[in-house]
Formats: sequence, C-alpha cells, structure tokens
Amino acid sequence: MTDQNRSGPVAQHGDQADVCLLLEGTWPYVRGGVSGWINQIILGLPNVTFSVLFIGGQRESYGERHYVIPPNVKHIEEVFIEDAWQFAPRAEQAPSDGSVRDLANMYRYFHHPQKPDEITGDAVLGALASGQLTMQDVLRSRASWEAITEGYLNHCSDPSFINYFWTMRTMQSPMVMIAEAAARMPRARLLHAISTGYAGLAGCILKRRWQCKFILSEHGIYTKERKIDLAQASWIAENADEALNSSLDPSSGYIRSMWIRFFERIGLMVYRNADPIIALYDGNRQRQVLDGADPDRTRVIPNGIDLERWNALRQTRAEGIAPVVGLIGRVVPIKDVKTFIRAMRTIVSELPEMEGWIIGPEDEDIEYAAECHSLVASMGLEKNVRFLGFQKADEIIPRLGVMVLTSISEAQPLVILEAWCAGTPVVSSDVGSCRELIEGGTAEDRDLGQAGEVVAIADPQATASAVLRLLRNPERWQTAQTAGVARANRYYGEALMLERYRKLYSNSMGNL
Amino acid sequence: MAGIGFELRKILARDSYSSTLRAYVYAGLLSAGPWVLSIISVMLIGIMSIGVVFPELLVRQFLVTTTYLFATSLITTGGLQVFFTRFVSDRLFEKKPHVILPNLLGIMLIATICAGLLAFVLLWWLFDQPFLYRLLVLTNFVTLCNLWLVIIFLSGMKQYNRILLTMLGGYSLMVVASFFLRPWGLDGLLFALLLGHATLLFVFLFDILREYRAEKLIAFDFLDRKQVFLSLLLTGVCYNMGIWADKFIFWFNPMTSEHVIGPLRASMLYDLPIFLAYLSIIPGMAVFLVRIETDFAEWYERLFDAVREGQTLQHIQQLKSEMTVAIRQGLQEICKVQGITVVLLFLFAPKLLEWLGISHFYLPLFYIDLIGVSFQLLLMALLNVFFYLDKRAIVLELSALFVLLNIALTLLSQYLGPSFYGYGFTVSLAICVLLGMMRLNKSLDDLEYNTFMLSR
Repeated sequence: MTDQNRSGPVAQHGDQADVCLLLEGTWPYVRGGVSGWINQIILGLPNVTFSVLFIGGQRESYGERHYVIPPNVKHIEEVFIEDAWQFAPRAEQAPSDGSVRDLANMYRYFHHPQKPDEITGDAVLGALASGQLTMQDVLRSRASWEAITEGYLNHCSDPSFINYFWTMRTMQSPMVMIAEAAARMPRARLLHAISTGYAGLAGCILKRRWQCKFILSEHGIYTKERKIDLAQASWIAENADEALNSSLDPSSGYIRSMWIRFFERIGLMVYRNADPIIALYDGNRQRQVLDGADPDRTRVIPNGIDLERWNALRQTRAEGIAPVVGLIGRVVPIKDVKTFIRAMRTIVSELPEMEGWIIGPEDEDIEYAAECHSLVASMGLEKNVRFLGFQKADEIIPRLGVMVLTSISEAQPLVILEAWCAGTPVVSSDVGSCRELIEGGTAEDRDLGQAGEVVAIADPQATASAVLRLLRNPERWQTAQTAGVARANRYYGEALMLERYRKLYSNSMGNL
Repeated sequence: MAGIGFELRKILARDSYSSTLRAYVYAGLLSAGPWVLSIISVMLIGIMSIGVVFPELLVRQFLVTTTYLFATSLITTGGLQVFFTRFVSDRLFEKKPHVILPNLLGIMLIATICAGLLAFVLLWWLFDQPFLYRLLVLTNFVTLCNLWLVIIFLSGMKQYNRILLTMLGGYSLMVVASFFLRPWGLDGLLFALLLGHATLLFVFLFDILREYRAEKLIAFDFLDRKQVFLSLLLTGVCYNMGIWADKFIFWFNPMTSEHVIGPLRASMLYDLPIFLAYLSIIPGMAVFLVRIETDFAEWYERLFDAVREGQTLQHIQQLKSEMTVAIRQGLQEICKVQGITVVLLFLFAPKLLEWLGISHFYLPLFYIDLIGVSFQLLLMALLNVFFYLDKRAIVLELSALFVLLNIALTLLSQYLGPSFYGYGFTVSLAICVLLGMMRLNKSLDDLEYNTFMLSR
C-alpha cells in the first residue's frame, strides 16, 4: 500500500514502470551503503522509470523516509513481514482445508533437512504466485497442521513443540503475505532484487506472474549475513538443555538451524530464478556459486563513485604526507576500532608525532565506544588518538596521510575508492573485496600496482608495520597514491557502473 | 472451580476407605447440595404438614408455589450463573481476586432489582391472592435468585465443614420453623421457606466476604463486554429452560394438570415421579464431581502446562490421551454408579412407592424418569468437560437443542397418550447426550489442532 501520509512525493499510479525494484529493509527508510547505492541507480538513470516493493520487518521501526522519492519512481508498495503473524485473522468461521499438496511441498522445499529439487521449488512458487495458497491455508488449515506436525515428528530435535510450531508460522506466513503484496504490484517490464531473502523471493514470485527477466544484485551475501545475525540472536527461544549444548557449539540448536536452512533455501530459489546474478566483487561471486548459483549467470559489477567530485579533492591536499592515520567508520565492533588503536600504539612509538583519527559516530554501540576510549587511555595515547565523531568525508579524507580499515567484515567499501581519488593510500584488513581493490583483480588491473597494503584481520602489529612502511618511505607512498588514483578512475567510476546497469536493463527489456 | 479439586485431591491423597468415602460425600453434598436438600426439605415440610394444616389444599398450594419459585428463579438466573462463573474463573486465572467480591455485589444488586421488578409485575398482574402471600412469594423469589448466584462460590471455598454445617443449619431451621409456623397456614410455611433460604444466603455471603479481599464495595466490570462472554447468558437460560420445559408443558396442559393457586397449575401425575427420580442422581453427581475435578482437571492442567512450557508434541499427545482416559473413566463411573442405582430403584420402586403411600399408577413414569435424570447427569458431565475445554459454542448448541427437543418431544408424548408421558424428557436428553458424545470425540481428536492453529 502506498502510504501517502509519509514524507516524499506521492507515488503516481497508472503508467507502467520499466524496472520493479525489490528492496528489503533499505531505501527509502534506512540510511546506509545499499540504500545510497539504490539512490545512486535511481538518480543516475533518470530515463528509466521504477516501481518499488519495500519489504520491512516491523512496521513501527520505520519512521520517516530518509530519501526524497525521485520523480522516476512511479509506485511504492510496502509490506511488513511481522504483520503476517500478528494480524492474522482469527478464524471463527470454518477453517479452510488448505491444499495438502502445496503445504507439503512448502515444507519439503523450505524446511526439510534434505536439499530439495527444482520441481518442488517450482511447484511452491506456482502455488504462491497464483494466489492458490492463502494466509488462511498456512495459518489455519488442517493440511498445514499435518505438514507441520509431520515435519516435527520426523525431523525436529528441539524438544519444544511450541517453539518449533511458532518458528514454522513465523517463516511460512510472511512468504504468503509477500506473495499477496506482489499480486498488488502494478506490472513492470523487468525485476531487480537488491538481495536474496524476502526481496529475492518476491522477485521469484513476480517473475512467475509476469514472465519477465529477473536481475539479482547482491551487495553482501544475504544468507551469510542472516547466519551471523542468527548466531547472535537472543530472540530464538531455546530449551535450557539445548542452550547448554549450543554454548559448546554455536552452530547447534534445531531452531537456529531451521532458520539458516530457511534462508539458504530462499537463496537457492532466488539463484535458480535470477539471471544475471550480480556480485560486487569476485569473492562474493564465488560464494554465490558455492551457494548454488549457476556460474554462467554470475557476473561482477563493482560499485562506483562520482570521480569528478572526488578527484577534485586531490587539489585540496597539503604538500607531502600528512602525519595523520585515519579510520573512517562507525565506532562498532564490526569495524574493529580496537585493532586500530593498538596499531596506533606501535606507530606512535616509532613516530611520536603521528596522530590517529577515529572518524565516525559513536552513538550506535555506546558500550563499545566507551571501551575504545578507555583503551586509548590505558595505552597512553590520549595525545595522539582523537575521536572526531561524524565528519564530512570530503573534508576529512584529504587531510589523512594513510587511511586504515580494520573491519572484520566488508563488501566493497566505497570509502577506499574515495580515499584514492583524494590521494590517500589505504591499509586494509583482508575482508570482502579489499584485496581485489588494493592489489588489483585482473592481470591488467594488477599492473597498475598496489594502492596500499592488505593485512590480516585483527593484527595490530601487521597493520602498524604496513602503515609505517608507507609513512617512512615517501616513494612507496607516492607509488601507492598513483596506483590508487589510476585504479579508481579506470574501474570504479559511477558512470561506468551506471552504464553497465543501463545496458543490463535495456538488454533485459529488449530496448530502452 | 479450582478450589474443590485441590481439597478433594488432598482428601483422596490420604488413601483410605474412610477418606475416599468422605471425598464422595463432600462432593455429593456440594454438587447436589442446595437444590436436592431444598427438594427434600420442602417435601419434608409438606409431609409434616399433612394432617395439621387444613384444608390439605393449602399444603399443596405451598408445594406448588415453592416448585414455581425454584423453576422461575433458576431460569431467571441460569444465564447469569454460567456467565458469572466464567467471569470469576477468568479473573482468578488473571490473579485478580480482589475484583471478584465487588462484582458479586454488583451482579447481586442487578439481579435483585430485575428479579424484584419481574416478580412485582407478574404478581400484580396475574395474581389476586392476599397481599401477604404475594409479598412472601416476591421475597422468596428474590432471595432464591441471589442464593443461586452465591452458591457459585461454594465449590471454590475451602472450609467445607463450615459449608456443610451452614447447609444443615439452614435447612434444619427451615423445617423447624415450618413446624412452629404451621398454624399460620400457607403464609407460615412460605415464611419458614424464606427464613431457611435467607439464612443460607446471608451466612454464605458472610463467608465469601471474609474470604475475598476487595478494594471497593461494588463494581460492574462484568458489564464490560471484553471481560465476559455474552453467549454464556443464552447458554444458561437455554439449559435451565430445557430442564423445566416438560414440566411447564404438563402444568399448563388442561388434560394433565389442575388449578392450584392463582394462575399456578400443577400436574399431580407428572411432578411426583420426576422429583423423586431427581433424588436418585445424588450418588452419580458425587462420582462425577470427584472424577472431573480431580483426575480430569489434573490432566487438563498438565496438558496445557506442557503446551505452554514447550514440551514435545509426543508428550502433549500422551497427556491428551491420559486426559481422554480420565474423561472416559469419569463417564464410565457415572454410568456404573447410576446404573446400579437405577437397577436397585427399579427393583424396589413398587415397595418404595407403597411405603411412601404413592399409587402404583405412577410406576411406569417413575421408571422412565429414572433413566431420564441419569441422562441429565451425563449431559451435565459433558457440558462441564466442554466448559473446561472452552467449547462455548458446543455447550450452547447442546443446551439449545435440549430445550427445543424437550418442548417438541414432550408435546408429542402428550399427543401420543399417557403411556408415553416422560418419554419426551428422557428421549430429548438421550439425543443430547449422544450428540454431546460425538462432539466430545471430535473435540478431543482435534484438540492439538484447535489449540495451536486456531487459538491465536
């Protein structure tokens, strides 16, 4: 439903959109890398019209839209998966008998321990896309009960039936709700999902309905991210015995494994239906292939930045190498700010005039931020290490001598590209596409040279050595700067990325 | 009601013949208590008064007036009883015992006003008896209406000895008072009746006031639709109308009844056997209460604890079959005990009636009534199980079917002639019990499905 009371221009109905974007928990409500990228695509391709299916978790947790809806977005439909089991109509009327075959297939495909075949997947998709499988069927029918209890009796090792039961409901009902929301979408000529998961599932359903092409772009790897979430999730009710077991082996716990399996199966379904399957860098592409994507359909389109704007920043640099090592990122555990601080200890011992700047908001994980502050104090770095909070990247990056990225998880960090354009070499942990970025992917790319250095994650000593090598050796620094500028300009321009997507869109739609 | 279950389990836990017997006696008195004791007391008063109160028509007028008082007060408050019982147990489940007392006073206030107005209109409009008679009927009616609301709490209270003593005291007072008030004829006897019931009402009320804490004097939370189930009102009315439908038909068919007092008519032929038959279900009621409130309720609690606490489905199903066995055993035991009672009464009925000075003419009707009231006991047991399982729709269905069938089949039996009298009542109950069994079977089969798939 298009909620017209929210901010942003009113979505217009009527004319058919070119591309239907399927988004989960991102644009236009949540700020972040993926949302920024989506905004970039929509604004960068003003001749393409878009419709959007936004899939959120809890309706209340999305307040105002953070992005202005551009005029080429013709329609926005929103669906919130937690509504699925909260507003389920209480059936006082006779409950439906449900479709025994559809519900059995649903169990077989998404929940059965054995990897399902494509025929079952197609049958489930057919039932979802045709609207044959209703919310009533899933939530109230006897057939659903039979399918659920049979699965429990044959496969479930978690003793608590009520946990199992509600887990099944929580998984199954949103799929039907998304199918219902998909049925409300005005037809578009092409589907583009920005993740697997629920958005990808909606893509599969709509592909079945519209018989059009379905493109998948993955920034991270959705299934992997869900696994990380699930490993930390405290909302999964677990039996005391099981909790004890899982403290020995974090991957155990039947309910957890059910969730992981569920997201894996959705991923599989999406990989089977999407073409092409796009990753940001080759590492992720390989991971997609490992997870079931057909290698022939996969391809890499890296993110790009506005080269003109960032190249201009090089002019604002002071002469020489600024005695500043900077980390740009939110102060949260995933950025591993502590490793940066520890590395600074070594750097400062060698070069006492060096400063370490931690540039990013500290309000997301206050406890972790406090720990970082006390680590700085206990290492006696108060004079050298400064917490600057949020700063404008284009003002701060030209003032850095070396930029450091200590993250334990990244996809393709744009900040590296921005640093290069602004003339700053980068030392990064070996995560995501960082090695590919800094050392070069293809042979041709490698010939441009190293635009900094890649070190192991959580290794302050190696990080410090790498930084020191660059700082102490102006020649080396200079080479890295040149390599960075060249690489960013050759491979990572926004225009290039937009052009690739424009081509992809027009090929998939016939003409544009 | 939870209270009685715990007490009975405690007594049974002593595991001796005497304690078991005591549990059954308690249960029998508590469940059958007020109304069976009322029947016995009233009959006793009648028998004592024969030969003392002249003309004898006065005794008959007293008995018939009393019967009408019971019938009308039970029908009037039947809905409220079921409705309020559920309200009370819901609030107890929510751990809000302090709201119960103010609401009891609230519902009693409403019942008093409504019953008073109703009685006033009817007595003013339909009766031309002396003022004193009408005043006594009105006060008796209002007292009984309140008493039926108060006795909801008896099985929930802990001091059983006190309750039994109160009952004994109240009914003894009634009988003794009638002995001394006999010279005043009909009015004297009605006053004795009032005295007995009013004593019971106020002593019980006093006990309840002591047992439940309250933060305010009076409350009307039960008028809040979110906290109650209105369908229960209809259920209660239907069930009580069902119980009395055949009697009213016999009272108001000129062929089977005679005029007694004012607009009140009675059927000598029909009334005596059925009231005697009602006394036969006391042992069955005791068994039923003990079984349902101990075995069944215990399994029921364990079953739903298992669901909430996250037990395995296999364990839940296991507990369900244990609960099913408890229900089956309960019904079987009612059948056994009631069967033996009925067989014994069949054998001794001729002598019994002779001893009571009742004509053999009543025998066939007495036999069929014995079977009928046994079915009524089974129906009560089934309805109780359905209330536990929260199957309000089924209870309403059975109650409505009962009243409709009883009316239809009783009219049919009158049309078919005297040898069919009593069959309307019995057959209608037999059908309801059969249907109830079928519904119970299905409800138990679907219990897990309903609990999980349809509850939220």
